Amino acid sequence: MPVDAKHLAARRELAQGISAVERPGPAANQRIQEALAASAADARNALVVGLTGAPGAGKSSLAAALADVARAGGRRVAILAIDPSSHESGGALLGDRVRIDEHPDDDGRFTRSIATRGSGRSLAHVAAAATILVEAAGFDLIFVETVGAGQAEISIARLADVLLVVEGPEGGDEVQAMKAGILEVADIVAVNKSDRPGAQAAFDRLRSGLALGAGAPPLALVSATAGAGISELLATIDDLGAGRGVRGRIRRVEAHLVAAAESHVDAQVREATASGALTTRAEQIVVGAQPLTGSITALFGISETPDA
Amino acid sequence: MAERTTPIRVLIAKPGLDGHDRGAKVLARGLRDEGFEVIYTGLRRTVDAIVAAAIEEDVDVVGCSILSGAHATLLPKLVANLRASGASDVLVVAGGIIPEADRPELEQAGISGIFGPGTTIAEVATFLRANARRR
Repeated sequence: MPVDAKHLAARRELAQGISAVERPGPAANQRIQEALAASAADARNALVVGLTGAPGAGKSSLAAALADVARAGGRRVAILAIDPSSHESGGALLGDRVRIDEHPDDDGRFTRSIATRGSGRSLAHVAAAATILVEAAGFDLIFVETVGAGQAEISIARLADVLLVVEGPEGGDEVQAMKAGILEVADIVAVNKSDRPGAQAAFDRLRSGLALGAGAPPLALVSATAGAGISELLATIDDLGAGRGVRGRIRRVEAHLVAAAESHVDAQVREATASGALTTRAEQIVVGAQPLTGSITALFGISETPDA
Repeated sequence: MAERTTPIRVLIAKPGLDGHDRGAKVLARGLRDEGFEVIYTGLRRTVDAIVAAAIEEDVDVVGCSILSGAHATLLPKLVANLRASGASDVLVVAGGIIPEADRPELEQAGISGIFGPGTTIAEVATFLRANARRR
């Protein structure tokens, strides 16, 4: 049966909206504002689940497995998969769809690959805006999968209602589990690939490492590809996200505002680096021709007002 | 014409049943290095799945790699379904083993570029930059 064109129209509108907010400016903000109004009017209350963890831990497969279980339960599910842009070319290879089964006839699913573009971080600046649009389009459960830079991944914690850290069977020892960073902000940690040797040992190491601190997050041992422990993991995620209410949407707008500020600074740093202004300024400071005082924006010559 | 402010988005798809995706992967990687955002879908996708992915990813270009000989049926169907879904401004190009004799018919059906063995990445990139929609 051919894909019903009308049926794809809603997904197309959402897809074009995400492209529109990827181009920052007044039109993008207008669209975000409209989406927020629509979500408020329809009393939407999407659960945004962040997935982060080292490359190869199985974030895409786990997001897909969780999405399948949730969709089977009648929920409308979206996956936003973020991959890095090349600093050299500005291009990106977005390969997460390889691990996500296509469901062309199902309007209750939506998958979008997002490149980090100007963001030198592991979350694209547009990620928060995209979740706001996806929620307004009526998706109840939104998975946001990060680049997976490892420990220094805090912006996803700001955006997600529930942050799931995914570890592979080789990942982590007790000391790593004690280190500050992503595990501190994890709401739940899943050791994936339970069907592989070493997964149980990784789980045990992580459990004993985390148990040394107060308020350790719940731990799960799962296999995305074998489907083991996925329903239970989804149930725990739902418990953790319960009662978020309007707080979820406020959180997303906060994340968007931070992203807008970061985007502005990132662009200025890029420009100052490319033009040589940064080096010139550093040289002046080294020879004492310029004091290392004053606001950082003045030192950089950054304009104080980001474009709306 | 206005300068693009965002990278051209390209879906690289492997429709049909052949399992040879080396060419598709080389192209995906090469286009990344040329500054394109490349979405790779994996092997053996149906035409409907490729159309839905192209819509969801809001791509400017769909590039199909076909070595199975099924191009004559799959490619025109892909173009027709994209058009029916309102994505008529998406450029469709193909690579792989496509006999010279089949080309006029495919071009007639809306396949904008056909790249045989020996085509360089730079040639593909130049073609896509010249022919992808502006926005």
